[in-house]
Amino acid sequence: MTAQLTPGFPNIYEIWVYLSGSPLLALILTLGAYQIGVIAYERANRHPLANPVLIAIVLVATTITLIDMPYPKYFEGAQFVHFLLGTATVSLAVPIYKGLSAMRGRIVPLLAALIAGGLTSIASAVGLARLLGADSAIVGGFVAKSVTAPIAMGIAERIGVSPTLTAVFAVSTGILGAVLARFVLDAVRSREWWQRGFAIGVAAHGLGTSRAFSVNAEAGAYSSLAMGLHGVLGAVLIPLGARILGF
Amino acid sequence: MISGLVQILVFQGLGELITHFLLPLIPGPVVGLILLLAFLALRTSVNASLDEVASTFSQHFGLLFVPAAVGVVMFWPHLKAHAVAVVVALVVSVVLTIAVTALVLKALSRGSRK
Repeated sequence: MTAQLTPGFPNIYEIWVYLSGSPLLALILTLGAYQIGVIAYERANRHPLANPVLIAIVLVATTITLIDMPYPKYFEGAQFVHFLLGTATVSLAVPIYKGLSAMRGRIVPLLAALIAGGLTSIASAVGLARLLGADSAIVGGFVAKSVTAPIAMGIAERIGVSPTLTAVFAVSTGILGAVLARFVLDAVRSREWWQRGFAIGVAAHGLGTSRAFSVNAEAGAYSSLAMGLHGVLGAVLIPLGARILGF
Repeated sequence: MISGLVQILVFQGLGELITHFLLPLIPGPVVGLILLLAFLALRTSVNASLDEVASTFSQHFGLLFVPAAVGVVMFWPHLKAHAVAVVVALVVSVVLTIAVTALVLKALSRGSRK
């Protein structure tokens, strides 16, 4: 039995070559790392610092560096997960629709806050990065970073900056927003859940929204509303603004 | 579950087509979102299957960001060289954005409602 099996049994190296040639390895890596992140987040009693997405990104980035897998090759496999970002963006219509009736009577403050927040986000990030001497590639990556990543990447392509760098900044912003929101909102004495949720959604899009939902349902609904509105307005206004300002 | 997913994919597809042929300025998923929103407003209800898919997506939105964000490895040396600027810009900007949005909301809703 063993004598028959051994010669035909592929060695580890062959298995490795076979697996890394298919999308499987990248998919297992991505989903496995996220699973570990979620378990760690639950174990840490949903502490904002144990952000599951941050954990997954660090794990995947470390692993592909260690096994010498070039990023484009990893992405080739992981693109199936990435593709769903567009689908998930479309599905945002559902929480926005559900939030619309609650929004009635609050439209003016919400839109004003969204525009003020969106402009603050761009002006402060671009201004500070420039002031501190970052080069134009990095500064460009900051323009769309408060918009949810799939839309941000679309905007980046349209205004001619790196979509990958934009995604990196968008995700970092989302994680930072999810981690810091509670402290900032307490500091400015924002007490209503709908206001707190909306502020998180404007600043920290999808990752802030996941965080908001895990704290309070009303905050989550307003956060997804803010993320959706910011995405739609950003997609229309940022490329226009960039053209006018000559980015 | 499946019928909800089909609806979303159809709207995503419509969005991509419209972006490609008519409105190159707006990303396809955003057009899809607006169309789905209009569809829901016309039907005045969200069916259970669509609701299920949408809430699954919003719970695990974070997972979908992982492949793009791992791209950080490509920019690592570049980002390290500008680490201070990048970190300061990210942190200060997100804090200011949250604070400004919350303060505007507080100021305006105090005036108009309560």
